[in-house]
This record gives sequence, C-alpha cells and structure tokens, in this order.
Amino acid sequence: MLAGVLSACGGEETTTGDGSTPEASSGRLVVYSGRSEELVGPLFERFEQETGVDLDIRYGESDDLALAIEQEGDRGQVDLFVTQSPGAVGYLSAADLLQPIDQAVLDRVRPEDRSAEGTWVGLSARARVLAYNTTELTPDQLPDSVFDLTDPAWSGRVGVAPTNGSFIDFVSGMRQLVGDERTEAWLAGMAANASPTYPKNSAILEAVVRAEVPTGLVNHYYREVAAQEDPNLPAANHFFPNGDPGSMLLVTAAAVPTSAADPAGAAELMSFLLSDESQKFLADDEFEYPLAIGVAPPGSLPPLTDLPVTRLDLDRLGDDLTSTIDMIRASGLQE
Amino acid sequence: MASRLGGLGIAAIGLLFAAPLAYLVVRSVGEAGRLGEFIVADTTLVPLVRTVVLAAAVGLTTAALGTAVAWATVRCDVPGRRVLRALAVVPIVLPSFVGATALLAGFARGGLVADLLGPLGVDGLPRISGFWGAWFVLSLFTYPLVLLPVAARLTGLPASLEESGRLLGGSPWTVARTVVWPQVRSSVAAGALLVVLYTISDFGVVSLMRYGTLTQQIYLAKLDPTAWLPLSLVLAALALIVTAGERLTVRREARRPLVRGPAASAVRLGRWRWPVAGMLAALVAVAVVGPLAVLASWVVRGATSGSEAVALRLDPTDLVGPAVSTVTTSTAAAVLAVVLVLPVARSLARGHQRTAPVASVLVVAGYALPGLVVALALVFWSLSSDLGAVLYQTVPLLVLAYALHFGAQAMRGATVATESVPDRLADAARSLGARPWRRFRSVELPLLMPGLLAGAGLVVVSAMKELPATLLLAPAGFSTLATSIWSAYEFGSYAQMGLDALVLAAVSGVMTWLVVLRRAEST
Repeated sequence: MLAGVLSACGGEETTTGDGSTPEASSGRLVVYSGRSEELVGPLFERFEQETGVDLDIRYGESDDLALAIEQEGDRGQVDLFVTQSPGAVGYLSAADLLQPIDQAVLDRVRPEDRSAEGTWVGLSARARVLAYNTTELTPDQLPDSVFDLTDPAWSGRVGVAPTNGSFIDFVSGMRQLVGDERTEAWLAGMAANASPTYPKNSAILEAVVRAEVPTGLVNHYYREVAAQEDPNLPAANHFFPNGDPGSMLLVTAAAVPTSAADPAGAAELMSFLLSDESQKFLADDEFEYPLAIGVAPPGSLPPLTDLPVTRLDLDRLGDDLTSTIDMIRASGLQE
Repeated sequence: MASRLGGLGIAAIGLLFAAPLAYLVVRSVGEAGRLGEFIVADTTLVPLVRTVVLAAAVGLTTAALGTAVAWATVRCDVPGRRVLRALAVVPIVLPSFVGATALLAGFARGGLVADLLGPLGVDGLPRISGFWGAWFVLSLFTYPLVLLPVAARLTGLPASLEESGRLLGGSPWTVARTVVWPQVRSSVAAGALLVVLYTISDFGVVSLMRYGTLTQQIYLAKLDPTAWLPLSLVLAALALIVTAGERLTVRREARRPLVRGPAASAVRLGRWRWPVAGMLAALVAVAVVGPLAVLASWVVRGATSGSEAVALRLDPTDLVGPAVSTVTTSTAAAVLAVVLVLPVARSLARGHQRTAPVASVLVVAGYALPGLVVALALVFWSLSSDLGAVLYQTVPLLVLAYALHFGAQAMRGATVATESVPDRLADAARSLGARPWRRFRSVELPLLMPGLLAGAGLVVVSAMKELPATLLLAPAGFSTLATSIWSAYEFGSYAQMGLDALVLAAVSGVMTWLVVLRRAEST
C-alpha cells in the first residue's frame, strides 16, 4: 500500500492491468478546504489528472468547516480537511475527531511542523510580519522586536486585527513562546498605544497602502498578493530578525476526520500536496513557505531557519483559543 | 375537522421555521450549567446592549428614509422619479460585506471620495467605523426593505383618498400626515422590522466596522460552544421579543379597499421639485453609484496591471455558470418560501387558526439568526434522519435553507395580499358552486399575485447573496455568485471580487426589476 502511495506522490501514474488506479479504492475523495480555490484549486486539479481520482471539494471558512465536521459526526463523509488556520485543526483534534496520519506522510515535514499525536500535518506556512508604508518609513526606522511596538514612539501607528483568527493564533503562539505574563503586558501596551484596530489582515494592508496607518501586524502573504495587482504598491514586509516571536510561522494543515471513508486515499492526496512539485507551486506561485523537507522558500523571503517556528503546539492552540480570546478582550485592545 | 387539520398544518409550518431555534436549544441542553452565568456576564450584556441600540437606530433611520424616498418617488412630481426609484432599490442587492468594503475604500484617505473632494479643499474625511460606521452603512444598504413595501402600498392607494383630503383644504404635508400615513403605517413598521432583524443578524458590516454586537461575538467565539451557544440563545430571544412586540403594538390599517381608483395624481412640490430630486440623486450617488464605482475601479486596476497572477476570469462560462445556479436556486427558494408562508398569512388575515400568530412570529423572527447558525442547524437536523441524510448537501436542502432563513420577507407581502381579498368574493364563488382549489386559483390567486411577488422578490435578492449556508449546504463544487465573490475576497483579489460583485448587482437588479418593480409600475 505504501508503495502505491509513494509512487503516486512522485507523480508517476501506475496502473494495473485493467487500467484502474491502485489504492484509490472508491475513485472519489471528499475534501473540505478552508484554503480558497484560487490558492489550492490548481493543485487539486493536477491530482485529479494524475491519479484519475475525483475530488468533491467544498471550499469554506476553516472554522465553519470544522464546525460542520463536528456536527456531521459519524455521518460525515469527509476524507481530508485542509485548513487555513491552525485553530480549526486544534479544535477537531481536541474533540477527538481526527485519526492518526500515515507515518510516511508525517515524515515529509519536520517534527515541529506536525502534530505530536500525528493527527495533522503542516502543508505550508505564513510568517507574521510588520507591513509598512514605504513612502512613510524606511527599513532602518523599523524595530528589531515586536515587543518594541509598545513604545510610545509607536503610539497610534501600528494597525492590528484583534478579532481576526490569525492574530488570535499569533497571540496564542506568543503565550507559548514567552509566557502569559509578557503576552498580557504586550497586549496592554498595544492597547495603551491606542493601536488602530481593523477586522482582518487585508483591511490592515489596505490601510497601510493608503497611509491611514504607517504599519500593521499581518501575515506576510497579503502584501505579496496585493503587489501582484498593483506593481507600484507602496508597502513592504518587515521580518523581525533574530528569531523574534513577532515573525513566527503559522502553518496551514491537513487532517483526516475519524469518519473518513477512504483514509488511504486521503494519505495519497496529502503525499501529493507535500510532493516537491506541489510545494514549489505553493512557494513560487502563492508566496508561501513550503514545509516539505528540502523545498526552498521563494527567493523574496528570509529562510525558514531565521524564523522562530519552533514548536508552536497547535493541539494546545485549540485548547488555548478561548483563554486567548478572553485575554485579548481583557487587554482593552478589542472594542 | 378541516379546521383542526388546518391548525395542525399551520403549527407544522411554524415548527419547520423554528428548526434553527430548536437546534440551539438542543445543543444548549448539555451546557445548561454554564448558561445562566454566561447570560448575565458582561461578555453577553455589552454585546446585547450594542445590538439593541444599533438595531433601533438603523430601524428608525431606514423607516424615515425608506418612507420619504417612497413618498417622493411614488406620490410627488419629482423629475426622473421612475429612474430614481429603480436606482434607489439597488443597495439591497449587494452582499453587505462587499458594500461595506467598497464604501470604506471609497471614503478612506486616498479613496475615490477624497480624490473628488480634494480639489475642493476638503482633506481628511472622518474614518467610518464603530457604532456610527455600522449605523451609516447598514442604514444605507437596508432602507430598500422599507422603501419596497411602502412604495407598493402607496402605488395601490386610490387617488380619491388624497384628493378628498386636498379638496377639504389640506396642504400636501397635512394630507400626507393625516390621510396617507395611517394607510402606510403598518407597511413602514413591517419593513423596519425586517431591517431590525437583519441588523441583528448581520456579520459583514459590524465586523468591518468592528462594532461588537451579538452576531459579531458569536462569529468571534465560534470555536467555543460554551460562548456562542448562549450568545445565540440571547439573540434568538431578542428576535422573538422584537417580532412579537411589533405584532402586538402596531395597529393594522383597515382592510385595503378593493376598489382601485385611477392612478393618483402627483403631489405638486412646486419649487421643492428640484431640491428633492437633488437629495434623491445624492442618496443614489452615495449608496449606489459610489460603491459600484469603487468595484469597477478595482476591476480596471486589476485588468490593467499587466500581471499574470491576477488574470481575471473573464471567460463568460466562468461567470454564467454561477449566475445560472444563483438565479435558479434563489428563485426556487422564493417559490418555496411563498408556498410555505401563504397558508400562515391567510389564517392570520382571516383569524381562522389560533396557531397562526405564533407561527407567523416564528417565521419572521428566524430572519434574525446569523446565517452560520441556520446552516449548522440544517446540518444537524438533516443528518438526524436517514431521509435527511440523503438530502444532505443537495440543491433541494439548500433551497429549503434559503426558504426557512428568508421566509420572513415573503410573510408581509403575503399578509397584505390576503387582507386585500374580501371575504365576499370567496363567498360569491362558493355560492356559485366552485370547489375550494378552484376558488383559490381563479378568484384569490390573481388578486394575491402582486403582494406575493413583492415578497418573493425580496427572498430572491437575499438568497442570491447568501453565503454561510451556501458554503456548507450546497453540493460540492456548486458555486454561486456569492461564493465566487467570497473566494476572491479571501484570496485578496479585489479585481475578481469587483467583477463578480458587479455581475451579481446586475443580475439581481434585473430580477428585482422583473419581479417587483415592473409589477408595481403596472398596477
């Protein structure tokens, strides 16, 4: 079985005598994707072409799809759940709704990019950055640490999205990296600085571009996409150096619900998504950090080793979600 | 016997519409211990107060704005009033997050409005956010819910009423207040009730404006059932109270006279003609032209950037497929909604069934529930039986979800329509020996049609832009214009989002015209 999986992942089509594809037992897989069609659709299409397996793909918000999988329970048909935000897999993992993934698949990524219990595997990652307006600021004016942003000098000059999933995951990660006390102090400092708040990453970036606010804490990828639409975009990403928590990685992940009808097919699809070719696509076309071992990130981004990935425990991230939301609310940062 | 069966039927329809509410109760049973403490906590009370204040403010504003626009464009001799009325309805067709995003971008520093006002020396518009931002944007995008029913009511009023008033020496203002207002009062209240319920349910605008209403908090805490369940229960209770309150307090006008007079002669505004036209044009500029222009500017920017990464899906088949899915499912939903609410409306008008008032409150209040809650409820209920499991994630179930979520909008039109059919007509048909179905089809239905279509039109428009239930309940790979817009928005491709949104606005605008406005013009 493993041989079949690996050969499929190499992109070679192995067919048996009667022309059917081995391992794809039903010839059909149900996928819930919290990553948008624009991002991962081309990969799914290529998988269908190479294997002959039909994918029934439902695109949606990661959290909403996780709630649907939970609500479907035993009647669920989902073979693979692909999520944009770490919180969603953490939620399902905590509810014991995910099954262990094939070790061969897990081993495609570093131990820190997968679940300790083997219930999810990272596919790609986005770095947290400080996006800034290039006409208002020069790189040498930017701080070395996210913790410097609580300085009065930055008062009212850093956009944040306190109710957005990626900010909440970022704060959960910060709690794991530096502890609750420093995290609470940082949130209080950002609130005391009257940091303007926005609903989501893209809104912050828009505000930075039109110089409504000179900087903002976002995921690195929004600026890259916006620069494609507007080559003269007056915004750049600042990566906090020296492993600062401000530039931690947030992974996107894949997981197999316990009710999956075809876990072997799901493993085949995960292997495909983690193949060199697919990972290069995510890096070069979508500006994301590939997580498969041996695949280089896009040239415009600093190497993975410079970023403080390091054991962001997604399983705990799910558990911590509520307390993180409470912590952000208590800080006064959120209206 | 027939009456008891009828009563059971009405009760069954009420229960069907109460499915999302029942889901909340079932899910909450396990959490009962924490519910009490959660409901009285600040985390619930503060969002509750915000929700009430915002809903009241938006409801009052749209009641005034929608009524004024309806009166001016239906009853007054404003230049270009037909075009203005058709355009004034357009804001309702845009998904609220699209409209809000476009307005924000338009008013922002460096945005379209600033570019226009810059040469006039205006610099630094106030940033739209918080309570005032949510109030402004929601009012601007929901007043057509008042405008449409009030305009329909005004169109149908015989001119003789106003003429008598004027012959007795009343000024236009006095006539409007003493003669016209009592006739439209309940239409205004019904429209404003829909606005209030929509405001309670809205996530798109309040999240962009960062105003923490109950729905915003529900979405924020959606991975924590101990938080979102009690918040949803509080929201549902609020919706039921508001809806029942409106039923109990608003006086119903006397049954509308069947006699249709000749078309009302226009109220002469004299030197106010052009100022009023100017104000209407300004409203259309801010609520319609502005957002559409921003969307168009994104399309142009993306199309001219020369970057391959933002290649617009201009291929007609990519747009036609979702457009056809959107139109067919939303039309089916409107038909189903009307079929479901019509019996309730008839019983209500005739006072036949004691279950009717309760059923009507359940139908209407359900409109306030956030779309995600409705979607999860349908996942739950359809998978709780083998038959439902077969229907799960099929088009019929999606259509049912739309009909249950938006049935409230068909309710009002159906009630007004049934009230306008005098009992003596049915009696006459009966005495001539017509059987019930034939009586309904040949006597009642033709008279009901305009009211039913008005309600159906609103359901169509709402279903066309529905997102959370569509994403969870449609068959895999089924895309509508709303899901295309969302997909592009998530990806950050404003050009594609703008294009899809313009197509939605165009298709939706045409549907509204065909179903609602054209009828109103011809009656």
